[in-house]
Amino acid sequence: MKICIRRWFCRGAAVLVCLSVATGFAAGASGPHYVVTNDDALYLNGVTFYTVGANGLLTLQQQVQTGLSGIAGGYFSANRVVVLDNESEECIYASNALTGEIVGINVSTLAVSGSAFGSTTDTGITNGVGLAVNAQYVYAGFSDFSTIGTFQVQPGCSLTFVNDISVSGLQGGVVSAIAIHGNILIVTYNDGSIESFNISSGTPVSNGDKQNSTGYLKSQGATYPNGIDITQDGHYAIFGDTSMTTSIEVSDISSGKLTKTVSYDLGGSINSSNMMLSPDETLLYIANTQGDRVTAAFFNASTGALSTGCTSGKLKNYVSSWSYLAALGLETTTGTGEVLYVAEYGAASGIAMLQVTSAGGTCALSELSGSPVADPNSPGLLSIGTFPPRSF
Amino acid sequence: MFRSFKMHAGLRCFLGVTVCGFSFLPALAQCPPRPQSATVVQDALSLYSQNGVLNASLALGHSIDAGGFTHFCYKYQQGTNTAEAPTLRLNQGDHLLLNITDDLSNPGAQSRSAMDMSAPSGATCGDGGPATLQSTNVHFHGLNVSPTCHSDDVLTTLIQPGTPGFQYDIQIPANEPPGLYWYHPHVHGFTEFQVNGGAAGALIVEGMEKYRPEVTGLTERVFVIRQQFLVPWVPGPFNLTLNFETTVPFEGPMPIIQMKQGEKQFWRVANATLQDFMPMQVWFDNVPQKLQLIALDGYPLAEPRSVETILLPPAGRAEFTVQAPPPNSYALFTILDYPTGPTGNPDTAQPLAVIQLSNAPAKSAAQAAAPNPPAPAQTSMPQASMPRASLPQTSMDHLKFAGLKNATPTTQRNLYFSEEFAGTNGPIQFYVTVDGQKQKVFDPNEKPMITTHVGAVEDWTIENRALETHAFHIHQIHFMILEVNGQPVANQDLRDTIEIPYWSGKGPYPSVKVRMDFRDPTIAGTFVFHCHILLHEDLGMMHKIQVLP
Repeated sequence: MKICIRRWFCRGAAVLVCLSVATGFAAGASGPHYVVTNDDALYLNGVTFYTVGANGLLTLQQQVQTGLSGIAGGYFSANRVVVLDNESEECIYASNALTGEIVGINVSTLAVSGSAFGSTTDTGITNGVGLAVNAQYVYAGFSDFSTIGTFQVQPGCSLTFVNDISVSGLQGGVVSAIAIHGNILIVTYNDGSIESFNISSGTPVSNGDKQNSTGYLKSQGATYPNGIDITQDGHYAIFGDTSMTTSIEVSDISSGKLTKTVSYDLGGSINSSNMMLSPDETLLYIANTQGDRVTAAFFNASTGALSTGCTSGKLKNYVSSWSYLAALGLETTTGTGEVLYVAEYGAASGIAMLQVTSAGGTCALSELSGSPVADPNSPGLLSIGTFPPRSF
Repeated sequence: MFRSFKMHAGLRCFLGVTVCGFSFLPALAQCPPRPQSATVVQDALSLYSQNGVLNASLALGHSIDAGGFTHFCYKYQQGTNTAEAPTLRLNQGDHLLLNITDDLSNPGAQSRSAMDMSAPSGATCGDGGPATLQSTNVHFHGLNVSPTCHSDDVLTTLIQPGTPGFQYDIQIPANEPPGLYWYHPHVHGFTEFQVNGGAAGALIVEGMEKYRPEVTGLTERVFVIRQQFLVPWVPGPFNLTLNFETTVPFEGPMPIIQMKQGEKQFWRVANATLQDFMPMQVWFDNVPQKLQLIALDGYPLAEPRSVETILLPPAGRAEFTVQAPPPNSYALFTILDYPTGPTGNPDTAQPLAVIQLSNAPAKSAAQAAAPNPPAPAQTSMPQASMPRASLPQTSMDHLKFAGLKNATPTTQRNLYFSEEFAGTNGPIQFYVTVDGQKQKVFDPNEKPMITTHVGAVEDWTIENRALETHAFHIHQIHFMILEVNGQPVANQDLRDTIEIPYWSGKGPYPSVKVRMDFRDPTIAGTFVFHCHILLHEDLGMMHKIQVLP
């Protein structure tokens, strides 16, 4: 009932008032507003652009082809598409896992503006290429030989390769996901360990804090960090665990290094490899990767603590069309984000759309009637982004 | 582990085709042609021991059929004719002298060993060298025999292509339970490939009628259910086959099992699939029929059991009697859906064969091709009958594992299955772990995870902490089922493979408690326990156990 009233209020006669709040100023009244994918197609790969309607529903606009090629799979948490939005550049960067090519797309023209390759070992045939971006660099985690490449952002969304470094987990694992904030780059490995790097000079330099996560140790290896998010103030790094439950870990990184993670078992559904903070940092959205639903946990940005929130119902077409949930995105760049987007991986890949409500210590996640929107260009969708992106 | 295409679309397929490649298989027609669909199902050629010895030679070959399915085959040469995967028949106390040669030669083949496999170091048996798709060995599944070189050893034995071959010399114990066993390749990392292609055959220790006189004089049928994916290791289309005849997942033209009106037959069925859990039934006009269960996993039951459904995990065997359908009825041998859990394979219902009445038993194709049985092995009559002489029933008290129920366990252990998904390529880790030890995948060079002594009797509680059902199997011995989910079972059967139901994601982990019998000194040595979903085994859901003398 709450949802109906809210929708009626926000999307009815008072729509103009609501929209100004709901969609946020960052999106701008006239600027482009997209959800973008890395289609990860096996041959000719591409980025599909969806326009975001006033009600948060997505409409497929077009695909921009990025070349050869994706692999239609790999690590859930590797962000294969990232968004750069600052005063000088509005860019989408996407990886082609097979070749390791990083492709820049100019948002204003929706055309490829340039691309770059790393070294010969910088590929992601086995599990993809995850990206992270700031105003100066795009970082790429290549899963094949576990390297992190540094690419310098050039005017017009093009890139130049700087160098790469080899990294490995404590048990010899390879890089799964990367995330950056300020001068810190954080890596998860596929062996239960995590590590941070200093990127103040561009190229990552290890902070010497490689460690097994608490969840990994507690579970004797049955749980380990996969996805990464970092709070706006850079105080906490949050890890979504590959786990048979909904398991999240939080590390205090205010010192500029990782500290021992605090492990939370939040109920919900199976696996929590992908997660994302809401713009206001009150909710942590968790894609129950191997399950059929999405969970939200309440997050205390001051303490880094998590507590049980809410779990959606079973999302539509599970098993019949898709098998895994993966990356998350949000309609707006303020508040809870309003509408939550979730990549659905499967023979009929698409993006689920869920209305978020949160008030008085309770929350709800309800799949919209128009959900999901299909991604006909993707044989296996894992990564999505939003333009404009969340501000952190 | 997932096998459905939807679950695996993408990387594994991509890797399988473009990286590992299947160009290693030249399109040679090494394997004999397999029977056409919708024809009468024939038993395999049988090779009998003579004077206490079965001496036979098999060659492992491969080919690709017109449908694109890769076949791996055990070839038995009879003059100019080649029979595939003969049934090996021995008596208690016999010797099996089995010479295996490897015809998978292809110097240009790309080895997966370069990707993720390594050969065991240290002691080797046979040709040694790297473990690759082109190398092979044989596991005699269920036989309670020595795990040493030239016997049932899978840890150090490797047979390489282009070599003279390797001879297994297996002493069947005098107290070996009579029943259905089977043989298949067991090279770590590549077992699924070769079994997927059909490299599997039945092995029978004769004498069931001495322990279960209910089968005396009955027509015996030996059915081996195999599974073939279009491309090994890659998700996608697959078939089940019944004695190499392709079945169909719907009620269309299907294999035909013939019975005479009023006849009762003794069926010996092996689940030689890669991963399918099979609840089997026989239907007359869509009504499940009572079956008299005689033996499980090659061990005769203390008493026949009347059942409608017999669940066979991958590698399981069941022996049971079947009454012929009444005239004008529609009879099926079928399998039911089996829930394998949220991340399990979709094991769906499908008929295996239609049962038809006939007064003219079909000729065995193999027999028809071999009118003059060659030496050294004596070949079969088609659809053999169990001996007709009415003998006094032999006590089972002298069989292996007799008295296990009342034995006092010397050790309690807890083990568990678990697995993890970090991406779409299936679980990235498959573990079977001794509780308290670190989870790790099998390493050919690892030290045994369990060490025990001859004479020990151990109770193991095996949990499943994964979201799919697993099939626990241990080499060299049978074990007694004691409990399921903490509750005593009604039938404390002796098995060598048992399903461990999946965990739903909440609540207690499902578990099976079994009693392990290490009292027989002939099984002293190092061998393995693992999940018999073969992909899981290949990816490391396996460990060593050492039984010290």
